[in-house]
Formats: sequence, C-alpha cells, structure tokens
Amino acid sequence: MMLNAKNIETFYGDEKILDSVCLSVKKGFTGIIGPNGSGKTTLLKSVSRVLEPASGVVLLDGKDIYKMHAKDAAKDMAVVPQDTSVKFDFTVKEVVLMGRNPHLGRFEIEGTRDMEIAEDAMKLTNTLHLADRPITQISGGERQRVIIAKALTQEPMVLLLDEPTSHLDINYQSEILDLIKGLSKKMAVLAVFHDLNLAARYCDELVLLDKGGVSALGRPEDVITPKNIESAYGIEVVVKREPEGLSIHPRRKPIKPSKGRVHVICGAGTASFLMNALVNHGYMVSAGVLNENDTDRDAAKELNIDMVEEKPFSHITGEKHRQNLELIRHADFVVLTDIPFGRGNLRNLEAAAQAVKQGIPVVAIDECGIKERDFTGGRAAKLYNELKTKAQVAGNYMDVVELLEKKCGLK
Amino acid sequence: MILISLVLILILSMLASTAIGPVSIPLKGVFTALTNLNAQGTESIIISQIRLPRIILAALVGSALAVAGAAMQGLFKNPMADPYVIGISSGAAFGASIAIVVHLSVPVFAFLFAAGTAFLVYNIAKKNGRVPVETLLLSGIAVAAFFSAMTSLVMYLAGEDLHQIVFWLMGGLWGSDWGKVTVAAPFIFLGTIGIFVFSRDLNAMLLGEEHAQHLGIEVENVKKILLVLVSLITGIAVAVSGIIGFVGLIIPHIARLVVGPDHRILIPVSALIGAIFLVWADTLARTIISPTELPVGIITAFFGAPFFIYLLRRKRGNI
Repeated sequence: MMLNAKNIETFYGDEKILDSVCLSVKKGFTGIIGPNGSGKTTLLKSVSRVLEPASGVVLLDGKDIYKMHAKDAAKDMAVVPQDTSVKFDFTVKEVVLMGRNPHLGRFEIEGTRDMEIAEDAMKLTNTLHLADRPITQISGGERQRVIIAKALTQEPMVLLLDEPTSHLDINYQSEILDLIKGLSKKMAVLAVFHDLNLAARYCDELVLLDKGGVSALGRPEDVITPKNIESAYGIEVVVKREPEGLSIHPRRKPIKPSKGRVHVICGAGTASFLMNALVNHGYMVSAGVLNENDTDRDAAKELNIDMVEEKPFSHITGEKHRQNLELIRHADFVVLTDIPFGRGNLRNLEAAAQAVKQGIPVVAIDECGIKERDFTGGRAAKLYNELKTKAQVAGNYMDVVELLEKKCGLK
Repeated sequence: MILISLVLILILSMLASTAIGPVSIPLKGVFTALTNLNAQGTESIIISQIRLPRIILAALVGSALAVAGAAMQGLFKNPMADPYVIGISSGAAFGASIAIVVHLSVPVFAFLFAAGTAFLVYNIAKKNGRVPVETLLLSGIAVAAFFSAMTSLVMYLAGEDLHQIVFWLMGGLWGSDWGKVTVAAPFIFLGTIGIFVFSRDLNAMLLGEEHAQHLGIEVENVKKILLVLVSLITGIAVAVSGIIGFVGLIIPHIARLVVGPDHRILIPVSALIGAIFLVWADTLARTIISPTELPVGIITAFFGAPFFIYLLRRKRGNI
C-alpha cells in the first residue's frame, strides 16, 4: 500500500467537506469520481499535504505525510495540479528540472544525473523537442505533458493528478490518459475525473465520492452502475459495455408525444437519426418491419417506440407484414427511408404502397437512388417509382421533419 | 560571462561617475585620490569624502531595490509588484516626516517605520497560519493609504519643515557619507545573499504556490523569510536615500529580458544592473542643473516610466 488515508475528515473553515474517508492507493490507476462539490479535489489536497485533515491520518509508504518534511514527501509523491498555466517564460527544460528540487540541497545545483532524469522524463512524455521553448508559448496539451514530465523528474512512487484532461480537446485527452495509463504500470496513480466515460475507460479502480463520503469503490464496472450514479449524481444513466470499456450516457427524459403518429418503414440504419428527431419533436413514432440485428432496431428500442420485429436474417413473414400494416393504419403519416431492398424486405415497400392506397400521406426519402439499392432485379425499382408519383419525396431526414412540421394540420 | 561584464561595467561606471561633477576632476586626479583616501587637497577630499561614499551608496541602494523588486515580483507572481508593494515606502515616509518635524534621526525612524509596516501588513494578511499573496497585496494597499494620509497630515502641519519632507519623499542621495555606507553595506549585502539562496524556491513559486509546495518547498516559511529579507534591504535603502521609485519595478524586467526568469541568475544580474542604473541616475541628478541638483527619484521616474511603457507595448500582456 503506497498511499493510505484512514478516516480523514477535512474542513474548509467550519464546513466539513470530507467525512471519514478511507482510501488506499496502490500501483495502478485509481480514479476519483463524484458530482461537483462532493469533495474530489479536497480529497486530493488532503492526501497531498496541502490541506491537513482535522482528524484521521494519511500515510505515504507507512509514514504520516503531515509529519514528514515537505522535501521528503516530494521525493515520493508528485502532484499535477489542475491549473498548469505559467505566466513567466521559463523554458520547458527549466520547468522540468524544477522537479529535481526535492532531491537537491539548498546550495546544490543540478548535475549530469539530474539532467539525465529530466531528459528521460521529457522523452517519456514526448516533450524533449520542446526543451528550449518558453513554456508560455506552447499549447495547453503540451504544457500538461511538460508539467507531468516535471512531476516524473521527482521520481515519485505516487503520482496525483487533479482533472488532468479538463481543459484539453479530445485528441490531447486520450494522449495524456494513455501516457498516464502507461505510468501507472510503474507507480501508483490517483487522479480526479470529471468525465465518467474517461474514468471508466482508463482506471483500474474507481472511488465514487458523494457528499464528502465514499459511496462506492472498486472496479469501474462495479462502481459505475446506474444505481450508484443515480444516487450520487441524481441522474438516470444508461451504462453500456463497449469494446473500449464502459460508456455512460444520461437516460433520455421521456418526451410526451403531443403531435401526430408517424410510422417509419426503415432498416439498415437508415432511420436512426430520423426516429430520434421525430421523438424529440414530439411525434408518436412507430417502426417496422425491422430485423432483430438491425441498427435501426437498436435505435428504436432505445427510443422505446412501438415496432414490428422479425428474426435476424429472415424474410418478412406474412404475420409481421400484417402487424406492420396495422401500425400503418393508425398512423397519420408514413415515412419510407431509402432502404436497400432485397427479396427479404420487399414487403416493406409493399406496405408503403398499401399506405398510399389507404390515403395516408407517405414521404419517401430518396437520398440514395433506387437503382443503387435495388437487389431484386428491378421489381423494387418498379414499385418504388410508381410509389414516388403518389408520395412526397424528401432529400434527407431533416427535410422530412421540416415537411411534417409544416403540415400543421396534424393533431 | 554576463556577470563579469556587468561587474566591469559597474566598476567603470563608478570610476567615471567619480570624475564627473560640478568640479570636473581628471581621471589622474581620481586615481590619486582613490589610491590614497587620506590624501589632502581639494580634489582628493571631494572624491574621498563626498563623491565616493555617495556613489557607493547609490550602487548599494540601486542593487537593494532591484533585488527586492525581483523577489517581490517572484513572490507575488506579479510583474507589477515592486519593493514598495506592501506599503514599506509609505510607512517609511510617515516615520521620516515625523522625524523631520521633531528633529530626530530620519534614517532610524524611516527604517523602524518601514520594518513596522511590513510586520503590520503581514499580520493583517495572515489567516490560519497562511498568508495568501492576494490578501497581502490588498492589506499592503490599505495600510499604505492610511500612512499616506498620516504623512499628508504631518506635511500639512509641518510649517517650514515641509520643504525637507518633500525632498525626502522624492528620494535622493545628497546626505551620503561613509557612516551610511558602513551601516547599509552589510545589511544589503547579507540580505541580497539571503534572497539569492532562495532562488530555486522563488523559481518554483513562479509556477504557483501549490506547485512549489508539491516540489518540497515549505511555501509559507519561505514567504515569511523572503518578506523579512526584502523588508530589511528595502527599509535600509529607503532609510538612507528616501523613496526612489521605479528602480525596483523596472530593473528586474530589464534583467529578465537579458537572462530569463531563473532567479539564480536573475537576482545577481538585477543587483548589478540596479547598481549601474542608480549610479548613472544619481550622476545625472547631481550634474544636470549644476550647481544645484535634482532629487534622483525624479530622474529614475523620468527615464523609467517611458521605458516601462515601451516594455508594455513591446511584450503586450506577456511581461
């Protein structure tokens, strides 16, 4: 156990920020998550010798950090604060070399070994080419790497970071976090995270803080559960397992349908955006017929809309076709997206034709011409072209929404 | 390398300055006087008793103010800081004006009030054992305003001493003698070395106090020590020469332009440039409207302010 906090309670003035928090950080990447004001930064300050807890103890390699000399603590523990802006134009190398401070006596100057250590840190963080540039003239992402290089030059066992990527754009975020992840194989890393997705993706362990206490602790998949997140952040989330790790999104607030019913005949991912837009505009949406392995089907499922489903890779059966027609009958509008037609889903086209026959307005999206998506040897094209003469044609899904909004005759 | 050149420039400047004055003395005469400080003869006495102590004191005061300015700018992480930022000059001015009115030792009063002000401001800003620099700055402004009001009051009531107070406030080296040199030299020398010793700490503090703390620096202690040292050398400088403005603000900037922000080189370079600058400023002050002289504070501001504006325009928000 490299860094160990036992029952710490920390105050800002009279306000108790941390309430009997226990934390142990070992080799690997540990993340602190929690809503604003839950005490994340305070916890980091409490374990980094900045804000002494009123009670409890913080041990660095078994020794109480508040009884250590600042220099001795700095030999084992380095911190990358949230604000890394520097106003004075030190060169990058000068800043990185400052990391040797804890190892140097008051009258000592940096020797070759110190230079080597600094150089290694700059190589590792990919900042060596910046060595002679003024730190005031490099980008935010580069500066963050320089400050990390400075911390590594301290040769720490424990590295603490306060929101290491909060001011960075997406490519710098992953660059910095990949770097930190690599470091965590050799040292204990503790970082505060604002972004749950990044925390879940990069950390080995997570600590969830809520109102100054630890509310969950362990592997990301055990900590980031809809239940834990809802109780800490007060928001319902959807947690999905993806190849890159967990992904966390706020659950959509149900929008009360206030406009008419729209049935979407779709498939092959042609209607994901459309269905989302329609739901957001307050339409009551239904869809069909969709195969169970279709991405449109997943989108419809997430939007929680009525649909007719068919087994994967199978032709639309008579029964499903009838169900589809049933939904169409109740719709005020039918939208036919530019689906590729094969023998298996030709019935979807017939369903659209049926809608026209019944006098239900049909909008066909024709972004991709029928010839390119006709795999039935011309049958689909024939039907489609006939349909087009009686339906409205839209260029893309946004045109559809616009069209529907204009038809304010809808209830 | 730069240090050696600056030392040479300083020595040459001091020699040249010794030769310049209302009574022009050829270099030969300067050397005669310098090799034998007890030599008789008008020229030798002018040099050994009047010009030499004054020039040495100018060099000392110039370097003290420049070093104090560099340290304050580092401590406050603010390029607009100067040695007087925590109100030392206003306190000293009040002490000096009282001393002038009641006919007591002006340097002693100026120094005591300077030191007292620094102590007062520090303690006002202190909270829970910490002294945030923002609070320090604000309490410095408040205390300075208070003492300025008191000084104005004393001046208003001073009667015929008013003239003398005004002269003191403008800053000048006309009262220089060997006595002041021997008192000021050791303090300024030791104080400067003391500040120099904390150069690496000052570097780290420029990144931010939290950075410095994480680099193993006991920030609050270092701040306290540096404030004591800065107050000491500033207090001494003000005590022997009044309030000379702009040296402590400008010289560190010039030094930073030359050698960068690393205090290990910035502090000695500031000391030398400060000394050279004030030696020449004082030479100008005592010769420009000879046989009378100008307060040197007018000269430093006259040249310093435009130069500072030039710096501001040139570097624009990135001093």
